[in-house]
Amino acid sequence: MTKREAPVIGATAITPRERTLRHQIEKIEKESGVKAIAVALRDFETGLEVHYHAERWFHAASTIKVPILLGVFAAIDRGELLPHSRVHVRNRFLSVVENIPFRVESGRDSNSAVHNAIGKMMRVDELAYHMITTSSNLATNLLLGVMGTDAVNETLRELHLDKGIELRRGVEDELAFEKRINNMVTADGLLKILVMLAEGKAFSPGLSRRMMDILHGQEFNQGIPARLPKVARVAHKTGEISTVAHDAGVVYLPKRKPYVLVILTEWDPATAGRSRTIAAISHTIFEFLTQAPLDE
Amino acid sequence: MSIATRFAENAGLNESPTFPLRVVDGLSLPPDYRKALRPGEEWNDLNGFPRQLPRYFYEIPSWDSAMKVELATHFLLWEFIQVDVREAAPLRTFPRYVPCAITLLAVCLERFREAVGTLVHISANGGYRSPSHRFSKNATPHAWGTAANIYRIGDTYLDNRNAIERFSLIARETLPGIWTRPYGTPTGYAEDHLHLDLGYVLSVPRDVKS
Repeated sequence: MTKREAPVIGATAITPRERTLRHQIEKIEKESGVKAIAVALRDFETGLEVHYHAERWFHAASTIKVPILLGVFAAIDRGELLPHSRVHVRNRFLSVVENIPFRVESGRDSNSAVHNAIGKMMRVDELAYHMITTSSNLATNLLLGVMGTDAVNETLRELHLDKGIELRRGVEDELAFEKRINNMVTADGLLKILVMLAEGKAFSPGLSRRMMDILHGQEFNQGIPARLPKVARVAHKTGEISTVAHDAGVVYLPKRKPYVLVILTEWDPATAGRSRTIAAISHTIFEFLTQAPLDE
Repeated sequence: MSIATRFAENAGLNESPTFPLRVVDGLSLPPDYRKALRPGEEWNDLNGFPRQLPRYFYEIPSWDSAMKVELATHFLLWEFIQVDVREAAPLRTFPRYVPCAITLLAVCLERFREAVGTLVHISANGGYRSPSHRFSKNATPHAWGTAANIYRIGDTYLDNRNAIERFSLIARETLPGIWTRPYGTPTGYAEDHLHLDLGYVLSVPRDVKS
């Protein structure tokens, strides 16, 4: 496929191959039993963009930690925080609903390192690492507590990344969840952030690279990376609650420029096959981007 | 051998016969420190009563010295000065300053430790924190160096009613005049640590001339 002005799948001027890709995504959607799927893609090699229901809003689950990571590095960029600034590890947060205190359940964090530090202090960069790589909810709320939700949202506005991201609260705020006060994202919203990081344009190339390094440390690899070849490196963030499963990241392959891929899915709580579905879409897109076209 | 003598030998600091750290008048400190510490100023407590902030401080030249100074047999100075990024920036670098009444708190905690028979852990932001610390909304004895938040005693985390009330009772029985925060979630209560304090004690060491 040759380079061209970013065509958008779903628009009228798409090639037969791109139509085939759309049909393949639709087929996976139909066969998986998923309630909704959104896909957003930007390929730096070919210039191709895919926006498949990419403006549909989903509960963000843990993908909201990518905008929060951006907020942390914005504070570092402003000099308000240093990577080695210390933060008191305390498991007590206030709900956005009437400021009622709540705690992050230790059993719901796959990483015990942050919980083991309760009462002590951890560095900002350590918390950021745990927030992304093992999706520590405690680390997330601690960082958000230091910065404040408003400050992160202001960063998103300044970078023109607020369209498609709604950060309203910390994680595990059950009272807010019951009142449907949730963090929401669209596939396009997450795509824009990851494109900015991948291009090294978030604050500075150095800070962008540090954020990408953290995303490269991701330990949950059942989604986008699962069916990619072993040579693929993926800097990404997953997110899953009872009704959604997401993965959003940057895929690096040898001898070509990377591509940014966001896959958001919504499910009935009893339906299985979430990671398999995300991996299938990721694999389909990988094949589409890397196999030589027969019709062009 | 006294704590002060042991410290003087170990740390090689000021060999004061009374205490190894230099006492400074907060009013003589540079403007950014005075702004953060507010020495001698009045500050209203939660109920609107004005309280006078400490004026005299011990100067801690380095983290190394804080690690060596024994305020009591089982309490080193560093345990009382762990503050996070919410503390005013000048007060997160050395030299740092801590109200002279911190020594009284240490003695109380040593007595408390004897009563519970095991390690007493002061939490980050749970010893001295300045009136400029982002947690300091109203006059809190933490800014007098006379309050401690204890998150763990031995292997017991004080994150539930039973643990907090049990050790709170021991503190009140052991330490005359001590105040402990009741268990609960509203303002003025605590549900993830034991807060104890001596009130708004001002300490003026004999070294002070003014």
